[in-house]
Amino acid sequence: MLREPPSRVELLQGTLDLLILRTLLAGPTHGHAIAKHIQRTSEELLQVETGSLYPALHRLEAKGWIAASWKLSDKGKRARYYRLTRLGRKQLASEQSKWRAFSRAVGLILNPVDQEGP
Amino acid sequence: MRSFFRRLHWFVQRRRKESELREELQFHLDEEAEQHRAEGLTEDQARWAARRELGNLTLLQEDTRAMWGWTIFEQVGQDLRYAFRTMAANRLFTLLAMTSLALGIGANTAIYSFMDAILLRSLPVSDPESLVVLNWYAKATEGDSVMKAMSGTTYHEPNSGVSAGIFPFPAFELFQRNDAVFSIVFAHYPSWQMRRLNLSAKGQADVAAGWSVSGDYFRGLGVAPAAGRLIIPDDDRPGAPAVAVVSYGFSQKRFGGAANALGQPILIDNLPFTLIGVTPPEFFGVDPASPPDVYLPMHTNELLGASNQFGFRAEDYLARNYYWVHVMGRLRPGVTLAQAQAALAPAFQQWVASTATNDQERANLPQLVVKKGAGGLDSLRRRYSKPLYVLLTLVGLILALACANVANLLLVRAAARRREMALRLSVGAGRFRIVRQLLTESVLLASLSGALGLLFALWGIRFLTLLLANGRANFTLHADLNWHVLGAAIALSFLTGILFGLAPALQSTRVDVILALKESPAGQPAARHNFRHISLSQILVMSQIAISLLLLVAAGLFVRTLANLESVELGFNRENVLLFQVDARKAGHKDPEIAAFYGDLRKRLSAIPGVRDASLSEDSLIEAGTGLPLGPAGAPPNPANRILNVGPAFFRTMEIPILAGRDIEERDRPGSPAVAVINEAFAKANFGNRNPLGQHLILREPDLQTGEGGRLARDMEIVGVCRNARYGGLTRDIPPVAYLAYNQGYPRPDQMVYALRTAGDPLLYVNSVREIVHQADARVPVSEVRTQAAEIDQTINQEITFAELCSGFAILTLVIACVGLYGTVSYNVARRTAEIGIRMALGAQRGRVVRMVLSEVLGLAAVGLAIGMAAALGTSKFVESLLYGIKSNDPLALLAAVAILFAAVTLGGYAPARKASRIDPMAALRHE
Repeated sequence: MLREPPSRVELLQGTLDLLILRTLLAGPTHGHAIAKHIQRTSEELLQVETGSLYPALHRLEAKGWIAASWKLSDKGKRARYYRLTRLGRKQLASEQSKWRAFSRAVGLILNPVDQEGP
Repeated sequence: MRSFFRRLHWFVQRRRKESELREELQFHLDEEAEQHRAEGLTEDQARWAARRELGNLTLLQEDTRAMWGWTIFEQVGQDLRYAFRTMAANRLFTLLAMTSLALGIGANTAIYSFMDAILLRSLPVSDPESLVVLNWYAKATEGDSVMKAMSGTTYHEPNSGVSAGIFPFPAFELFQRNDAVFSIVFAHYPSWQMRRLNLSAKGQADVAAGWSVSGDYFRGLGVAPAAGRLIIPDDDRPGAPAVAVVSYGFSQKRFGGAANALGQPILIDNLPFTLIGVTPPEFFGVDPASPPDVYLPMHTNELLGASNQFGFRAEDYLARNYYWVHVMGRLRPGVTLAQAQAALAPAFQQWVASTATNDQERANLPQLVVKKGAGGLDSLRRRYSKPLYVLLTLVGLILALACANVANLLLVRAAARRREMALRLSVGAGRFRIVRQLLTESVLLASLSGALGLLFALWGIRFLTLLLANGRANFTLHADLNWHVLGAAIALSFLTGILFGLAPALQSTRVDVILALKESPAGQPAARHNFRHISLSQILVMSQIAISLLLLVAAGLFVRTLANLESVELGFNRENVLLFQVDARKAGHKDPEIAAFYGDLRKRLSAIPGVRDASLSEDSLIEAGTGLPLGPAGAPPNPANRILNVGPAFFRTMEIPILAGRDIEERDRPGSPAVAVINEAFAKANFGNRNPLGQHLILREPDLQTGEGGRLARDMEIVGVCRNARYGGLTRDIPPVAYLAYNQGYPRPDQMVYALRTAGDPLLYVNSVREIVHQADARVPVSEVRTQAAEIDQTINQEITFAELCSGFAILTLVIACVGLYGTVSYNVARRTAEIGIRMALGAQRGRVVRMVLSEVLGLAAVGLAIGMAAALGTSKFVESLLYGIKSNDPLALLAAVAILFAAVTLGGYAPARKASRIDPMAALRHE
């Protein structure tokens, strides 16, 4: 083991899709960049397994939420770029609101108002 | 749906997709390595780190590929490839299975296409669903009724009573007034006097089938002309200019195109008409059984009837007790059939009650029945629906038999593939997956058979059309493969595939893995532990035998019926007689010259070399049917008596023996003493034991008001008595018939059917006949040319078709069943090689082994026969109405079926039994 991430947070089932969609909102990019972006933005807390990233990308593509095309990367190499489709945007909006409702609900249970703060 | 197509698209480009995935992952690795290098690792270390992070590349690819969502396509593809290979490896099995299934599917498709054409198809008019046909139903057929006279077809209903779709003209006017129910009401009349019109154009005369229609007929049906205009109400009034509309086909045939026909002056029955329009190509009128060539306005009936002694008269429109006009209507939107019935029935009831004059008539009034009119008149349906349902049942049985057969063959093969299945199961294949694989095989087999079956169906349709038409040129029933039929065939193929595939598939996955793998490659288990195999296969064999018996019984019944019909005593010689019809009156010949014309034509025809005798009669014997008030002098007319106007030498020509007295001869002319020849039945019915020769017969003109004899028409001396000959059909009892000289007064000669007794094939004389008639008068067309034998065959056409089809079906099933039996027994023998070997080693004789195997086969057959016999006895009464001269449980037919089946079963079982007896005990035991 060369490297053990300091503290890894297991991704919840289904959240990877949401994260990918959200990442692509910023603009088209390739698989590697998506992984890195999620990692960086989550302050290295979330580690995206390559083994689940690519199946997830292809699944989203099959569903029509994202579309792929071959473009040249910054370094001039051919890379498969993914972008959000209109359907994907809609999906992201609904997933996002679902997530917010979920996290609020979990928050309500974990931090009841009458309990003292941690 | 979009995502499905995306996946399908990807699937088609799967090679590219794979390489793209590899490239994508490679790019990821490169990026990752690049990043590691930036963090300070060496080139090698960086690559390794990247690779490690990625994990199992193959697994990743596999997982990603799974997301493309075509594992299902891939697996089906695999299954199909495998299925093809298995089929190719078992050619004999594939051939047997496919042929039997294809025959089954083909036969079903062919019969179904006829049902589609006859029973289900709608008229090619706009919105056929809102059309209705008016009918009536009356309880009793005998006795006094308001239906004093009728022109048209009446049907005897299965239970009791009689129904018909003909009405008095005032009733039609009554319906026309009811505009709450109908948006339009129209009438038509396939008048007997229009059945064979003499249509002459550009100097050439032809026979054309005519149909008279009311002014609203075409508007009511919503038909647009292919050229010109169609008949409108203004054409249909007394005194309107005489116009005609012809069918598209007739315009093509006669004028070389729809446009050429327009405005042509034509002569119809020697009266001038103008051709104003052509109906569209797909339109065939409202009776699928008889498409007209010419449509004439209703009011031309009195025009054409004027020259005919029994023709239509203008006063017939007012007659309230003469039933003749067919009425159809279009319901207003939203009005249902039941509502129409409820609204119209009381109105008709009230009207028809006012036409009754006594209590008996009032007790038996016709009741209105409103029927759906989308399919037009139901003449074809009435005639063919029962035979078609019987045929469909028979071919359904054939398909069931074929399925059972293939299922059985599959079972045998499944047993042979037990090791393969066990191996698959033991390396982790899911049971569902294996069942799916096996089902793929059977559905593939069924689909290929279905495709082959469609080919058979095409032949079948052509063959059936030929059988049904039986030489009739104007046969109108055109069945073809359309989307309905094709859909039915495809559905049938899939259904059969699943039907015969499921049981063996389920069974073959229910193997004991360990035991199956331990078996020797030859594949026989140590003991008969898989008892269920045997029993399923035995059930299949028994059901095949039962079905075969049913079909054999059906074939026996129909063949016996045909034999009975063909051995019906005709009373005349049907061989070597040419018949054809001419109608000089419609070409303009008048009394008394017309009789001379016919007589002269007879002389010219008898002069043709090779023609032994020639005569004429108003109808052929088979189609005869004229009843007029006739009886011995001094006695009232006997309503059972029938007449036939004949020419000289009629009895010699038809070879009807004269028992006493003489034939009608040349000397019986207009002006000479009137004569008649009577048949035995007439002598018996009217004279009892008295000698009829020299007695006088009195013929009277009918009085349509009273239905009884009116003015004296002929006083004839009986000059001969002939043997009974068939009159008006093949199976009806021969009525009392008096044969009158055609030229000695009322009824005057109209159409004539000539009969020529020829040396050799009668059809060889057709050209000479046409030439001679043409020379005599070019305006007189020759029609209905046929041999006497063909005319008789035509009347028993359906029975011939049934006998031939059922014999074919029976042979087919017998072959399929024998093949199935052979396969099953052979397999069982193979499984028991060791057992038989031991028996033989212990001294069993060969004959004993044969008997042992055969006795098992015959045991199965006996059970199957018992079941089949019970089914045959239980169901054969449904075809009773299609039989002639035998009962539905005819012992001879049953016995023959059993005997044939036993012979076939013995044959099918003997070959493997013999093979069993040839087993070498040493080889069999060493085998273990």
